[in-house]
Amino acid sequence: MATATIAQPKGRRSTRARGVRVFKWSVLSPLILLFAFLIPVFLLQIYFSFHSWTVYLSTWFDAEYVGLELFQEVLTEGRFWRAMGRSLLFAGLSTLGCFICGFALALLMYKPFRGQAFFYILFILPMLTVPVVIAYTADMLLYEKGPINGFLSYFLPGDLSKFTWLANPDVAIFTIILLEIWNWTPFVFIIMLAGLSSLPTEPVEAARILGANRLQIFREIQLPLLRPVIFLALILRFLEAMAEFPKTWGLIQGGPGTATETIPIYLYFTTWVSFDISKGAAMSYVVMVIMIFIVLTAIYVLRREKRALDALHETSRAEA
Amino acid sequence: MNRVQKARLFTIFRYAMLFIWSVIVAFPIFWIVSTSFKPDWEWHAWPPVYWSQEASWANYRAVWGRTQSPRATSGEKVATETARYESHSANKPWQALWNSLYIAITATALSVAFGAILAYGVSRYRILSEIRMFQLLVLRMIPPIVVAAPLTLYYSAIHLMDTALGLIIVYFITTLPYSVWMTKSFVDEVPVEIEQAAEILGATKWQAIREVIFPLIRSGIVATFLFILILTWSEYLLSLMLSKVDVVTLPVQLAKYEGSDEGRVYGHQAALAVGITLPLMIIGIFIRKHLVRGFTFGMVKR
Amino acid sequence: MSEKQIKRRSLLKAGLATAVAGPAVLGAGKAHAGPEEDAVIKAAKKLGGAKLNGMMWGLYWRNYPDLNKEFMKATGISMDKVSDVPNLQIPQRAMAEAITRSGKFDIFHVESMMIPSLAAAGMLEPLDDHMKSVGFDLKMVGNFETFMQYQGKTYAMPTDGNVCPQFIRKDLFDNPDERKAFADKHGKELKWPVTWEDELEVMKFFHRPDKELYGFGGLRDKANSSFWYWMYLYSAGGFPFDDDANPTLNTPAAEYAFDTWLARKQVSHPEAAAWGSPQMIPRIRNGKIFSCQYWDGIIALIESPTAKTKTRGMWHYGLVPGSKFSGKLIHRCFSAPVMAMVVNRHSPRKKQAAAWAMYMSTYKNSAEVVGHPLFTFHDPWHPKHMTDPQVTKVYTKPGIKSVRDNLLVTAPPPYVTGYQEFKEVVDRNLSEAYAGRKKGAKKVMGDIQNEWAKIIRKVGKRKLKREIPFYKGMMPKVDKPS
Repeated sequence: MATATIAQPKGRRSTRARGVRVFKWSVLSPLILLFAFLIPVFLLQIYFSFHSWTVYLSTWFDAEYVGLELFQEVLTEGRFWRAMGRSLLFAGLSTLGCFICGFALALLMYKPFRGQAFFYILFILPMLTVPVVIAYTADMLLYEKGPINGFLSYFLPGDLSKFTWLANPDVAIFTIILLEIWNWTPFVFIIMLAGLSSLPTEPVEAARILGANRLQIFREIQLPLLRPVIFLALILRFLEAMAEFPKTWGLIQGGPGTATETIPIYLYFTTWVSFDISKGAAMSYVVMVIMIFIVLTAIYVLRREKRALDALHETSRAEA
Repeated sequence: MNRVQKARLFTIFRYAMLFIWSVIVAFPIFWIVSTSFKPDWEWHAWPPVYWSQEASWANYRAVWGRTQSPRATSGEKVATETARYESHSANKPWQALWNSLYIAITATALSVAFGAILAYGVSRYRILSEIRMFQLLVLRMIPPIVVAAPLTLYYSAIHLMDTALGLIIVYFITTLPYSVWMTKSFVDEVPVEIEQAAEILGATKWQAIREVIFPLIRSGIVATFLFILILTWSEYLLSLMLSKVDVVTLPVQLAKYEGSDEGRVYGHQAALAVGITLPLMIIGIFIRKHLVRGFTFGMVKR
Repeated sequence: MSEKQIKRRSLLKAGLATAVAGPAVLGAGKAHAGPEEDAVIKAAKKLGGAKLNGMMWGLYWRNYPDLNKEFMKATGISMDKVSDVPNLQIPQRAMAEAITRSGKFDIFHVESMMIPSLAAAGMLEPLDDHMKSVGFDLKMVGNFETFMQYQGKTYAMPTDGNVCPQFIRKDLFDNPDERKAFADKHGKELKWPVTWEDELEVMKFFHRPDKELYGFGGLRDKANSSFWYWMYLYSAGGFPFDDDANPTLNTPAAEYAFDTWLARKQVSHPEAAAWGSPQMIPRIRNGKIFSCQYWDGIIALIESPTAKTKTRGMWHYGLVPGSKFSGKLIHRCFSAPVMAMVVNRHSPRKKQAAAWAMYMSTYKNSAEVVGHPLFTFHDPWHPKHMTDPQVTKVYTKPGIKSVRDNLLVTAPPPYVTGYQEFKEVVDRNLSEAYAGRKKGAKKVMGDIQNEWAKIIRKVGKRKLKREIPFYKGMMPKVDKPS
C-alpha cells in the first residue's frame, strides 16, 4: 500500500499521536453510530428466521419459535437452488460478456485516434441509463415483429421476425444477460481504459526492441501488469450482477414459468407476494452467507493482487 | 505487408468494430427517444417506424405537462387518442423528479464527502486496517433485497418510512464503500510533502483536508460523485420498498406506467424515460474526462 | 365524442348542458346531485373535514378528480394524496401496511379477493355501520355483492366490475364464405360456441398465424394465468377445496380444466407466455385476434369513436362457453380483479374515508365513473348501470347485455385468506407448464396440490374451514343466465 505516514519530528510525538487519535475517532464514530443504528434490522431478521410468522394469525412478536425448521425448508428446496444456479449463471455470463466487450473496446481505444472523444462519450451512455428504463426499452424492442427483429433482419440471413426473446424459457435468461451486458460494459470499459493508459511504456519498448510481436507483448507484459485491474473489474461486476433486480423484475418478473427467477426475484416473491416474511428472512441469511463466502474469496484475491502490485511498485521505486 | 499497411488495416478494423458497437449502444437509446415523439398507433407498428412523420411533443406534454385532465379546447380539436392517458400523471413526474434530485444528490454528496475524509484517514494514518477496508466492501455486496423486509418493519417502527432521511441513510451506507475506495486511490497519489508543508505552516488536519487535499483530488471527487450519483439516481428496489407517497423517486414513478387495460403506454414511458436519463447523461458528458480515473480502486499505479 | 363531454360535469354546472352536450349525456347527468348523494353529503358534513391519503393506480384515479373536488366543496373531505401504485403491486403494498399497522393510508383501491387476507391481517374497517348511519344501500348485479363481503360484513365499495365476456370477431364469424368453409370442413353449421370444446374447434378453424390472425387472445403469462383456469374449473363443476379445507386440485375436474387451459396454446400467439394486457390489448384492438374472453373495459375501448381501433363495430359480445364435464351444461365466467375501495382500520380518519368511498359508489356517481368515454378502466357493476344511457352508449347495447349476462354467472378466484399465496402457486405452475417445463395434468396439478397443502397449514386449516362455506356461497345460483 502506498500509505506513507507523515514523518514525525521528535518531541511533538505525543501531541501528534493524540491529534491522530482524535481525528481517527471523530471520523469513525459517526460510522459506528450508523452501524449501530442498523443493528435492529439484522436482529429482526434473526428473529424472523427462527420464528414462523403468519400475518393472518398473530402479531409478529407472538410468532411461534420453530428453531432451524425454516432454514431446513430453504436448504432442501429445489426452487431455491435452481434460483441460485440461475443467479450464478446470470452473474457469471454477464460478467464474462461485459469483460470481453469492455476490454476489447478499451484495447481499441486507449491510444489517441480521431474521434476518440466521440466514441468515448457514446460508449459510456448505457451506464448512465437507469435500469428501469432499460427494462421498459427492452419491452419496446424485443418482441416478434418488433424493432430489434426488424433491424436484425436487414443484416442477418433468415427470417428473424419470428424470433422470441422473452416467451421462450430457454432464451429468456440470455436476453436478460444481454441487457446486463449492454448496461454495464461501460463500467469494465472505463476500468480497463484506466488500466491500459497507466501502463508503463518502457517494458513494451524494451520488448519491441528485443523483437517481440504484438501478441507476445500483450500476453507477456501488458496482461500481467493488468491483472489487478482485471480482477477488480470481474469481481465488482460479478457481485453487482448477483444483486440485479430492476431489469429482471421490470421486464418479465422471473417468467415465463420460473425461467428467469434469480435469487433477488425469488426473495421478492417469497416476502412480498407470498407474504412469507419468516421464510424470506431465513432465505436471506442463507443468501448472505453464500454471498459473504463469495465476497471473502474475492477479497482474498483482491488483496493478493494488490500486495503483488504494491511489491512490484516498491521494487521499481527502489530501482529508480 | 509492411508496417504502414498493417497500421492502415488496423485503423480500418478499429473503426469497423467501434462502429458496430456504436450501433449496439445507440439503437436502444435512439429508439426510446424516437418513441417519445411518436403518436400511439406507431408504438407497435410493423414494419417498425424509425422516425415518425407525425412527430410531436404530445407525449412530453402528457407526462410532464401541468394539465390535470384533458383540456376542453373550445371545439377546435377533438379528443385524440393520447388524451386517453392524460391526467394519468397529474404533476407526479415533477414531484418525483424533485424527490430524486434532492435525495440522490444529498446522499451522494454526503457519501462522497465522508468517504473522502475516511479515505484520507486511511491513506495517511491507517485509521482502518487493510482488511477492514476490504470488509467495508461487504456493505455494498449484500443484495439490498436481503434486508428489505426487516428494514421496512424497522423503518415503520422508528417513523423513517416514506421520509427522505430514511432513503438518504440507506443510500449513504450502500454507496460508502465505493466512495471510500475510489477517493482513496486519489488521495494516495497526493504527495505527503504538500501536507507537511501545510502542517508546518500551522494548519490543522481538517484545514489540510479542506485546503490542500480536496482541491488536489478535485477530478477524482467529481468522478466518484458521478458514479455514486448513477447508483443512487437509478436505485429502484429500496426506493420502492421505503417510499409511499411523499418520497417516490423517478424510477419508481416510471414503473407505474405498466399500462394494463390499454396496452403499455410506450410513448409516455419513453417521454418519462428521456427525462430520467437526460440529467445523468448531461452530467456524464460534461465530466467525462474525470471519469476514467476514478474506477481503479488503487489497482493501477501511475 | 368530443372533449366537451368529458367536461360535462363542469359544463352542467355552468348551465350550458343543453347547449353543448348531447341527449345521452343529459340522461346520465340528470340532476346535479340525487337523494343518495345528498344523504352521504349530509352525514359526512357532521364528521368534519379531512385530507385523505389513498393508494390507487393512476389509471383508475383519473376518473375521480372532479368528483373529489365536488365532495371537498360539499363536506371538506377530500382525497389529498394518491399513491400511484400499479394494480398488481397494490396487494403487496397494502399487506406491507397491514404488517406495520400503519395508518398512513386511509383508502386502498385493491382487488376484492384480497379482502379476506387483509381483514384477517386486521387491517380492514367493516363498512356496515357507516352505511347504516347514512342509509346507504349497496346494490350489485346478481350475486356480486358477496364480492365485497367477508364473514357477514361488508368491507368494500366497488368501482370496477371487471367481468370477462366472450369476444368473437363478427366480420369473420358472420362471413358467408367462412361459414360455408366451416360447414364443409366439419359437416355442421358454424354456431356460437356453447362448450369449451366447441370454442376450441372454432378457434382452430380461424387460427391463421401466417395471416397474423390468432385464434385465442386470453392471457397466459405468469401474472394472469390462473384467472382463466378458475373459469374452466368452475364450469366443469369443480371447486378448489373440500369442506375440510383440503385442496382438491388432483381431481378429474381440475385436470380437465388444466387440459382445457393448456389446449389454447395451439391457437395462441407464440409469445403469449410473456404477454400481459399491455401487449395483448393492442393485438385485440388491431384485429390480430379472432376470439377471447377479456375484461369488459376493452369493449368501451374498442367501440370508442375517438380511438384508432381497427376493429370498431367488428365484434360480437356474448356469454362465455361452458362445460358439460359435470354431466350438465354449466356456464361460469370470471370476475377478477374486481377493484374496490377498502378503508384502513388503523386510520384516524376512517369515518371520513368511509364516507368518501360511499360517495364515489352511489349509482349516479359510479355511472359517471363507469361511463367515462375515454377513461375506461372502471367497468359496470350496479344493476342500474345496465340500463344507464351513458354507460350503454359507451359499452354499446350488445356489449352491456353481455356484461350483464356474464355477471349473472360470474365467480371469484379462491375467496379465502391467503388468496395471493394460492394464486402465486397456481400461476407459477401453470406458467411453467405453458412454457413446456412441466408436463401432464397429473404432474402439474399434483404439484399445485402439494404446495397448497403447505399454504393451508400456514394460513390455518380451522380458519379456512370457516371461510369455505362463504366462498362456496359466492358461486352463482344459475348455470345459464336467462
